[in-house]
Amino acid sequence: MLCEHYKDALIEAAASGAAPSGELREHLAECTSCRAVFGQEQSLFAAIDTGLHAAANAEIPPSLLPGVRARLDEVGTPRFRWVQPLVFASTGLALGLVVFVMAWPHLAGREEMAKKGPALASMPMNANREGTSPESTQMTAVPVKHTHASRNSTQSDSAASSNPEVLVPPDERDGLALLVASLNEHRDLAAALLARVPDNEDSLISVDRLHIDALEIKPLEGRETETLDSAGEKH
Amino acid sequence: MREAAQADARREFEERLAECGPLAFRVACGVLRNTADAEDVAQEALLRAYQSFERLRDRNRFRGWLVRISFRLALDRLRSAKRRERRDALWSQPAELPPPATAEDVAASNQFQGRLERALQELPDKLRLVLLLSATEGHTLEEIACMLSVPLGTVKSRIFIARKKLAEKLRCYANTIKTR
Repeated sequence: MLCEHYKDALIEAAASGAAPSGELREHLAECTSCRAVFGQEQSLFAAIDTGLHAAANAEIPPSLLPGVRARLDEVGTPRFRWVQPLVFASTGLALGLVVFVMAWPHLAGREEMAKKGPALASMPMNANREGTSPESTQMTAVPVKHTHASRNSTQSDSAASSNPEVLVPPDERDGLALLVASLNEHRDLAAALLARVPDNEDSLISVDRLHIDALEIKPLEGRETETLDSAGEKH
Repeated sequence: MREAAQADARREFEERLAECGPLAFRVACGVLRNTADAEDVAQEALLRAYQSFERLRDRNRFRGWLVRISFRLALDRLRSAKRRERRDALWSQPAELPPPATAEDVAASNQFQGRLERALQELPDKLRLVLLLSATEGHTLEEIACMLSVPLGTVKSRIFIARKKLAEKLRCYANTIKTR
């Protein structure tokens, strides 16, 4: 009963590592069993400390610091991490600008051709208007094939751009081919169609006055013999 | 100008790396009890510390800051490993049996060390970190208080409580203790 009273104080003294003092020291001097328990507790805490020291002071692997340095080299320096995205963004912008500048003449040409779309078919004929002979009139209809190859190929585009292109819906291609064939056969008709339009085509159309001769009234032939009787009946 | 600043930052970190790298490893090793895992964790902790080095205003607190990063990463690793172990144990049939005892396994010191390390894992995180630091590289209580930014009295009480808890768990094995 008396030893039980000192139990907690005994454990705490062993845990703190301090030498027992006061009443506990006097009891330990008198009680052999408590002295033995106290020795066991001290041994326990000493073993804990030794074990902790062994667990907490493992040998440093030689690859630790070189490994860290290698990973530091991979990630780069931390202070200017914002520079990297900025460099990427500016490089991308510059590349985009270069591509745009390189593609601009081609795009501009296409836009111009699109604006002149309705007149494309008559480009060679415009030359005729300038005075060339009607015999040289030639129309070329180039059917546009909607393939990726022709769309993406700048070479084919540039080659096709030397000839007028007419975008024709599929159901009207036959009709256009017939028209071109007939115009090639009847070149005079083509020349007439392509004749220069007068400058004042937008002015009001002036119609010459019709000249009507004076009316001449004559009796109808073979009607002299017809007479009317009093009764009004024809004989 | 910029390159010079970068070189300065790198040099400053390198100095601290040589000084504090081993501590990061030991803290991780104290938690994980596995050298390879602890090395991985320490490298990761140092890398993270480097990446956030610019945000650390008081560079004198680097040591404690690194210790906390390493400790936290090691705990995460340990918990994920435990989850993995549980999952593997669930799938493997029959259930894992303890390895057969050998002459070395039954040696009292080894048994005690294993039990001590297991008991250490069961301590609350705050107590465990303080106890590990007190056992690592001969840190004084003042140094630990400074590292963890806690009062000296808190460090003392945490160490006292932690040792008592360990003793409670290990007392039943006291008859196997051999003084080393």
